[in-house]
Amino acid sequence: MRLGLRAWVLGFWTTLRQLGRWPVTLSYPEEQPQIAPRWRGRPVLTRDPDGDERCVACELCSAVCPTHCIELEGDDRPDGRRYARAFRINFSRCIYCGLCEEACPTLAIQLLDEFAFGKERRADFVYPKEALLIDGPGKHPHYRYYDHAGVRIEAATAVPAAAAPLDPLDNRP
Amino acid sequence: MTAHFYLDGREIPFQPGQNVLEALLAMGRDRDVPYFCYHPALGSLGACRQCAVKLYPHDDKHPPRVMMACLLPASAGLQLVTAESDVRREHAAISELLMRNHPHDCPICDEGGQCHLQDMTVRAGHRLRHYENAKRTFRSQQLGPLIRQEMNRCITCYRCVRFYQDIAGGEDFGVFGSRDRVFFGRLHDGPLESPFAGNLAEVCPTGVFTDKVYHASYLRPWDLETAASICPHCNLGCNTAPGAARGRLRRVRQRHHPDINPYFLCDRGRYGFRHVVHRRRPWRHRLRSREIERDEALDRLTDLLRQGETGFLGSPRADVQDNLAWLALADAYGAPFAAFSDPWQEALAREILALPQAPSLRQLGEAERILILGQALEISPSLRLPVQAALRRGAQLTLASVLPTALDRYGELRRLRPDGYVDAAGDWCRALPSGKRGVILASADALGPAGVHVLRRLQEDLPPGTGVVVAHRAPNLGGAAFFATDGQSQRLREAIRVGRCRHLLALAADPLGEDGDAPFWRQRSSALRISLLDCLPTTTLEAAELQLPMAAVAEREGVFLNYEGRFQAFARVYRPAQYHPHWDPSRSTFPLPAGGMREELALWEPRDLAEALAQRGGRLESFHQRLEFYRHYLCPELPGPGDPGSFIPDALRARFRIGIVPVPHSGTGRWWLSAFHWYGDEAQARFAGELQSLAPVAGVRLAPGQTQAQAMLLTSRDGQTRRYPIVEVAGMAADVLALPPSDLSDLGYHPGERIDALEESAP
Repeated sequence: MRLGLRAWVLGFWTTLRQLGRWPVTLSYPEEQPQIAPRWRGRPVLTRDPDGDERCVACELCSAVCPTHCIELEGDDRPDGRRYARAFRINFSRCIYCGLCEEACPTLAIQLLDEFAFGKERRADFVYPKEALLIDGPGKHPHYRYYDHAGVRIEAATAVPAAAAPLDPLDNRP
Repeated sequence: MTAHFYLDGREIPFQPGQNVLEALLAMGRDRDVPYFCYHPALGSLGACRQCAVKLYPHDDKHPPRVMMACLLPASAGLQLVTAESDVRREHAAISELLMRNHPHDCPICDEGGQCHLQDMTVRAGHRLRHYENAKRTFRSQQLGPLIRQEMNRCITCYRCVRFYQDIAGGEDFGVFGSRDRVFFGRLHDGPLESPFAGNLAEVCPTGVFTDKVYHASYLRPWDLETAASICPHCNLGCNTAPGAARGRLRRVRQRHHPDINPYFLCDRGRYGFRHVVHRRRPWRHRLRSREIERDEALDRLTDLLRQGETGFLGSPRADVQDNLAWLALADAYGAPFAAFSDPWQEALAREILALPQAPSLRQLGEAERILILGQALEISPSLRLPVQAALRRGAQLTLASVLPTALDRYGELRRLRPDGYVDAAGDWCRALPSGKRGVILASADALGPAGVHVLRRLQEDLPPGTGVVVAHRAPNLGGAAFFATDGQSQRLREAIRVGRCRHLLALAADPLGEDGDAPFWRQRSSALRISLLDCLPTTTLEAAELQLPMAAVAEREGVFLNYEGRFQAFARVYRPAQYHPHWDPSRSTFPLPAGGMREELALWEPRDLAEALAQRGGRLESFHQRLEFYRHYLCPELPGPGDPGSFIPDALRARFRIGIVPVPHSGTGRWWLSAFHWYGDEAQARFAGELQSLAPVAGVRLAPGQTQAQAMLLTSRDGQTRRYPIVEVAGMAADVLALPPSDLSDLGYHPGERIDALEESAP
């Protein structure tokens, strides 16, 4: 009996407590909501601070994707850098789980705050690479994968002296 | 009761002679102990120090100690531990040392996903690098079109050099430098010379050597579909595992077969698959180069068959069942069938099938005396690995050939003219000490039908245990020889010559090109209409009136009969498909998860085409009857894909030993003709671009000092003159012209025949 009363009082209290507050309802779409920075919205492909594509086509995102909605194929640029020749995401299958972002070793694929987008035809949900690629570095403004990879590409800046290539024919101790 | 030792308290059985690591791997427990430098074919080295286990001795005198599992012979009752902290620390510390210089480039490394180093580093639990200095770097070398080197990834396990020098006998690749400058490569940039270079990508436990051809159409190995397949590039029948994804074939790797190819595959087998993406490959039905629909093609063929003027031509490149279906269809229409367009090749195949069962490659590796006749090792490169293994065991090698061969410096050398092979074989057989296991490796082209016949007679007098291996480039030579017993080829040609056959329905054959006797077919090409089912853009395909697209080996099912008389089945790995960015609901293809659709290309399996033609002609019943009859007679029990294979019964083999004795005809002429082979030279591999970029210069080969001319003019059997630049080969027999087999076929001559040549001097 006492338990029932307690629940009754608590319930009314919860309701009455809202009386003095502003309503949380937004008149969307005229009013746009504040999206948290870690919101998992639509995935995009970002660029590194130099403006080069970050994606190196390692295929981890497509491997981890639970709905298999990512498909890509890699290729080599003339300067030795790897990039995705074709990259597409089918957003009519994407569940915005963010596993691709977690898997991405180069921080290329990032889930930004775009959360609602509609199309008239299902085929329009298949975004090719040109539609996915954005112009900026996204959430990680300073990260450059090739600074950490330990491979040289022609376009990269000078390598520090200690890491200059060794000569295997040099027999000095 | 097998003996056991104990690892962490669990019983591990082992065979005598195994070491601890081998016993663990045989149990499938490759996660218990990490390892790098051990490889079943290369043995234990103890270089990487990764496979540490802790040994508790049974006596009281010695304390427990950490030892390398790959160097510790397994013995009964051994007490080993890996679950203790000092062993784990050792694993993690060695991993850290191995990773000290390893770049963090797994995302752009082709090995990622199949990388032993990746697996073992995760397994050993190494996460953070304590060493703070820069990583050492090297300048990687350009090693040709097949293998890509990224030397910074090296962990110095020495597997590559142990394979390349010790197993494959290569000399142009080695190890340089000292301390942490140790470098594996060539002295200078340049393509690797060994025909086994492609194995470096498989042997390397990390991404130093990766497959350049696979890289060009790279998808991660976890995306690849694979199935048990058989290499279609020579008659050894090595087992392969092609990897395909998204409707494209992307790589071929070896598949373990204990008796044929335990661990390695030659480059022709590994890279020859690129013929399936040749840009001129026929994908659609074409009638005089106009694209037509499949139904129209079938109607046309049915009409032609009804006229009763069709001859059927099979091929040693097509598998057993496809040739059977062609034969059954020919029977249903009462038309002549031959599996060979050239009687010489037919007689050769028959003689090879009539040989007693050849030794397996494993038995070849245990031979004590080996005779190599001609360029057998260039025709079937994988023969070289067991020969090298036998040499390491102390076998004595005799080489008899026209041209220098790769193993010349390992054995007793005999240079001879093409007519000398039989004598050389006879001398060797007479000199063979009793009780020694001897094996003759012969090149089919060098010996010819008559030579193989003599070899069979010679072998009858030899002690048991002596075998003959005849290397040929056709994958199903034995299976095609089923249909070579009573001069079918000659009869088909006779029917064409007298005009009884005006239409040829050919299956994967190239009579106008390199099947052995192009002039005969060229002379009749105006009166003969050819319908060709093939997957290669051959000379015959270009001349064919009706082109039918055929599924390549990895795209269909079938059975090959290899040199031992072993049936081996291959499974379909993939279906070629084309990507369309938009899904079309009117097509019977599902949309892809990632959008668009992938539509499979309609390619014929020869059996299906034969059946469709029989059905349209109203002869389905007799077709099935004949097919069942032949199948029951020739191959009642066929293995499934992935099986080790089953042998043709000796009783059946004996039926092919018929009375016809081939007689050598050498003709007259100044020069003897010989075939010149290199390891990438085969009907299908000839359309594999990357491999062909390594081809030696074209031309006619002869000994130095034989002529002052720049080029030779040779006249073919139908009177056409061909010009061949002269390539002088040091150490070659005198008075011999060596030409690639495709050129010999073009001229209409066979190896061992004589020819006159016009010499073209410098202007």
